[in-house]
Amino acid sequence: MTHVPVFVIISCLGLAFALPVLCRFRPRPAGWLVRALLMLNTALVARVLLFVNHQGTFYYHLGSWPPPWGIELSIDYLGLFTALVVHGVSLAVVFYAQTDLAGEVDPRMHHWYYTLFLLLLASMTGICFSGDFFNIFVFVEIATIGACGIIALKRHPDCVEASLKYLILSTLGSGLILLSLAILYMVTGHLNLRYIAQHMPTAWAAYPLNVNISLALLVVGFGVKAALFPLHIWLPDAHSSAPAPSSAILSGVLVKIYAVALIRLIHTVYGHKLHQMIPVTQVLLLLATLAIFAGSLFAIGQRDIKRMLAYSTVAQMGYIFLGVALLTENAVVGGVTHIFNHALMKSMLFMAAGAVVYQKGFRRISDFHGLGREMPITMAVFGIGALSMVGIPGFNGFISKVYLAIGALDAGRPVYVAVILISSLLNAAYYLPIVTRAFFNQETGPATFRVDRLPLSMKATLVILGGLCIYFGLVPGSLLRLVQKAVQSLLAT
Amino acid sequence: MRIVNGIAQNYFYFASMVIFLIGFHTMLTHSNLIKKILGMNIMETAVFLFVVSIGYVRGRAAPVVGGEAQQFVNPLPSALILTGLVVGVSLTAFALALIIKVYQYYGTVDADEIMQIRSEER
Repeated sequence: MTHVPVFVIISCLGLAFALPVLCRFRPRPAGWLVRALLMLNTALVARVLLFVNHQGTFYYHLGSWPPPWGIELSIDYLGLFTALVVHGVSLAVVFYAQTDLAGEVDPRMHHWYYTLFLLLLASMTGICFSGDFFNIFVFVEIATIGACGIIALKRHPDCVEASLKYLILSTLGSGLILLSLAILYMVTGHLNLRYIAQHMPTAWAAYPLNVNISLALLVVGFGVKAALFPLHIWLPDAHSSAPAPSSAILSGVLVKIYAVALIRLIHTVYGHKLHQMIPVTQVLLLLATLAIFAGSLFAIGQRDIKRMLAYSTVAQMGYIFLGVALLTENAVVGGVTHIFNHALMKSMLFMAAGAVVYQKGFRRISDFHGLGREMPITMAVFGIGALSMVGIPGFNGFISKVYLAIGALDAGRPVYVAVILISSLLNAAYYLPIVTRAFFNQETGPATFRVDRLPLSMKATLVILGGLCIYFGLVPGSLLRLVQKAVQSLLAT
Repeated sequence: MRIVNGIAQNYFYFASMVIFLIGFHTMLTHSNLIKKILGMNIMETAVFLFVVSIGYVRGRAAPVVGGEAQQFVNPLPSALILTGLVVGVSLTAFALALIIKVYQYYGTVDADEIMQIRSEER
């Protein structure tokens, strides 16, 4: 059982490189292989979670080289939680991509798409589990190539241009992360996160400048990749131009993985004593608040549905950083829960938008008049996502916002409750008009009610995700218990 | 005086920071995409130089098995940078491939001109 996390990562990498060879002459089975492997891996990650529930968290030494020499994987609740989110969303995305991909990517390129997708998946899982700073850096770089690749694979000028912009800014981010790693290695002499954490007090006493600079570089480096507000400029282009399955995985999961890596590094490596001396959480709070408002305001001004969703991601990343930077248990639980909730909602919304593009071929929001009569299922699912985004009770977005608000009160900062409330109203201002237009517009649209002309795999994926949104809004107990365990171990160090 | 002394003793750190800034400046200010990629490369090289120089101790030798030296430099940063170089090369190759695509679509590799073409299309 202890080998399973490595198997999950390596099997993805292995299949990624085997696919181009296997599909050289017969590209058909690529999708089936990927779906089978993903189902297996999702089950395995869930099984590891049960194992960890029984036996406690454990460390895995790659090649049996013990730290500080070897690379260590730390299989803890936070890593397992994010790995489950990654695999769950990816599973939905590959089932959706089965039919949607044909409309956006040349069929002869499909197995290449899956290669890049698997590379991205392997690196995201790696970032979740890795307990070694340099290992995290390498996985971040693989993720960069995979992410840029699944945008640029669509033959469209916008995609190539957005991908290049993303690549350049991402490389800047990883350069800063490497610099931060080097400066930290200079004063602590270790790359293993636990060992760095052990040596941090002495390093801070002797070389406060190095520790400060490395933390600043880390926040900016991961901030670029996680689209923290002023560094988000690549995101709207990249996420809106990409094929729908890519948008769903990039916007739903990838940006959050970097946020998780940053959270893990800030909390475990730098520790809580340093947070009282270095105002990093103050900076993060300010940027998060700006992100929440600016993202929503930009989203209101968009005319393209996918661009609007992309700007909404900028705002929602703000919630995650807000929760994590408030440092009280409830707030961090809210932030981490929002990783799951937003992954579910945003991937669903992007797939719903993709379904509209698939059937009707338009993306302009003004064209959505009366669409509820032609695509009732898609627009109903979109409505669920919209209500969830706004944070209506009974939908999953509500749960994380409640915890964020309670956490803000715990921290003695009621002003952030106001931030959450006002931003929820802003969310309503750009999500709800689309739904009301689609369903309650009397003049336009066909007179008769029709069912969506979508392939079954797309409809089923959308309906299941919509159902999960409501399920986790009504019965969030198991999810919250897992997140609370993850947060307690995070805050205990 | 302390600062000058510090720089004189750690001139390789100072040099790598200067190179980093040159790369950063090139990447942000030039509108030619190829030059942007060059700047990106210079920036990465500066980071690599910095990391390698961390492990260097003056007057010590590389740790070779069976060698005669008694005191060694730290080989780990150099080994890490080997990985970093490979990543850097593949990112550069990928970026250049994307630039070829951009040139096919827009007929130029100038970011400002591409912006203009895109705004005219809308």
